[in-house]
Amino acid sequence: MNEPLHPITQVPFSVEAFSCQKHGNASTEYEDAWAIRGSDSPNRCRVAVADGATESSFSALWAALLVESFVRRRSTGPDFFEDLGAVRRLWWGKIRKRKLPWYAAEKARKGAYAAFVGLSINAVNRAWRAVAIGDCCLFQVDGLTLKHAFPLTRSEEFGSSPFLVGSVQKPDDDPRSHVRVSEGTFNGKDTLFFASDALAAWLLRRAEKGEPAWEWISAGVQTPQDFELLVAQAREEGTRNDDMTLVRLARRAAPKNGT
Amino acid sequence: MYSAEISRKNPGCFIFLLDQSASMEDPFGGSSDRRKADELSTIINKLIHNLSIRCAKGDNIYDYFHVAVIGYGQDTVVKSAFDGPLTGKDLIPISELANNPLRIEDRVKKQDDGAGGLVEQSVKFPLWFEPKHVGGTPMSGALKLAADIVQRWVAEHPKGFAPIVINITDGESTDGDPTPDAKALSSMGTDDGASLLFNIHLSSAAGNPIELPASDEGLPDKFSKQLFEMSSNLTPFMIARAKELGMTAGDGARGFVFNAQPTQVIQFLDIGTRPANLR
Repeated sequence: MNEPLHPITQVPFSVEAFSCQKHGNASTEYEDAWAIRGSDSPNRCRVAVADGATESSFSALWAALLVESFVRRRSTGPDFFEDLGAVRRLWWGKIRKRKLPWYAAEKARKGAYAAFVGLSINAVNRAWRAVAIGDCCLFQVDGLTLKHAFPLTRSEEFGSSPFLVGSVQKPDDDPRSHVRVSEGTFNGKDTLFFASDALAAWLLRRAEKGEPAWEWISAGVQTPQDFELLVAQAREEGTRNDDMTLVRLARRAAPKNGT
Repeated sequence: MYSAEISRKNPGCFIFLLDQSASMEDPFGGSSDRRKADELSTIINKLIHNLSIRCAKGDNIYDYFHVAVIGYGQDTVVKSAFDGPLTGKDLIPISELANNPLRIEDRVKKQDDGAGGLVEQSVKFPLWFEPKHVGGTPMSGALKLAADIVQRWVAEHPKGFAPIVINITDGESTDGDPTPDAKALSSMGTDDGASLLFNIHLSSAAGNPIELPASDEGLPDKFSKQLFEMSSNLTPFMIARAKELGMTAGDGARGFVFNAQPTQVIQFLDIGTRPANLR
């Protein structure tokens, strides 16, 4: 029997996020960002993860503005990157009045950069659409099986110099030609994971070795301490020291009768 | 090898050696109005400038690197090349260097306006070094002093990224063959790899610049061939990064350039995600 469309009063998804800064850094130096909107909506849910580049200044702010902008807007495709003017002005507006030493001022003029993945899912027909630039990744997993990886699919595709979304518009730096788009359908037992690059690379490496960590990041990560243990293991296995972020979107368990 | 993290807790080490001998007063690359000493000061100021920008983060500058700059000239003088408030210091954190230039000039820079035109923008342009050119060229002595600094550094940072020594010269050593001293320098290192010696050859000879060659074929004189022989091989990461930056670097490429401004060498080390479109 086909599953019925969910009743309009039922909240369909649970979305949880876990994060950890680079080892040796203060938590205030964390430069990834994530945003979730509509997880309490019966119609749609939007999730975005961005990873501010170490080698640019004020990139945590840029990453935060990007994800917030995505989840607040309606665009689901590459058009998101065609209209970054307002968010870029917002970023620059927060920087321009600072009194900066010469090196900080020149670095700020070069702009901040971030990798980005954003997804919009229709809670009624469970169709999803994702856009990405850079190496933040989305994984669709059915139990122990990876069904879909986006935009990177193999661990060796991760490098240290990806094309990223910039906070300063430059004529030879149009992000639109670098946008990747993917679509799919969310089935009842699926989980969608969003991961910043170092964690994503480790997850793919584990899967390639035949030692997938999908179950670990599903049931095994419930608290920040669980996530720290996972990050410690990933670093033990040689993953580069980087900020790590995991966002997990799953179908919310149906309420039990009488509860 | 050559995979140690470079961070504030595990900083990298750059040692620059500046030829300040009389021969550096000669014309550069067949030019009638530009001396080798002018070219050298342009290169070292740009290298320090780029390194400072690279380490800038938000309002601050992170000490990803410690830097020494050694001048050699006046027949036998080998000493710290810093002037002003940094006089006499050898290895200092990049923040101290960035915050203490000799002077800061206001210059106008033309930038893309994003709409097909150019706009003029006022920028601060710091300078740390002026052209100098007196006496003979004690390059062997400079390499010995660099080796002393390297020895101290690797003892204090045994698991860190290997020190990088960059020698900028016209190649005409007057205190003997520098090759044994270069070898001695390159024999020291950390658990992560041997220290690396790169050479930037500034010649009076005209000719096309040569960057990161894998052989000495095509090099114009005995000085450039000697400097090539003294230069370390680039690491695989450096070769990959050089290619990303549009430089020609094949297998076996060495850290040697002839009559070029290799200011991108600062990008050869990994300190975290570097956007491909960051320029």
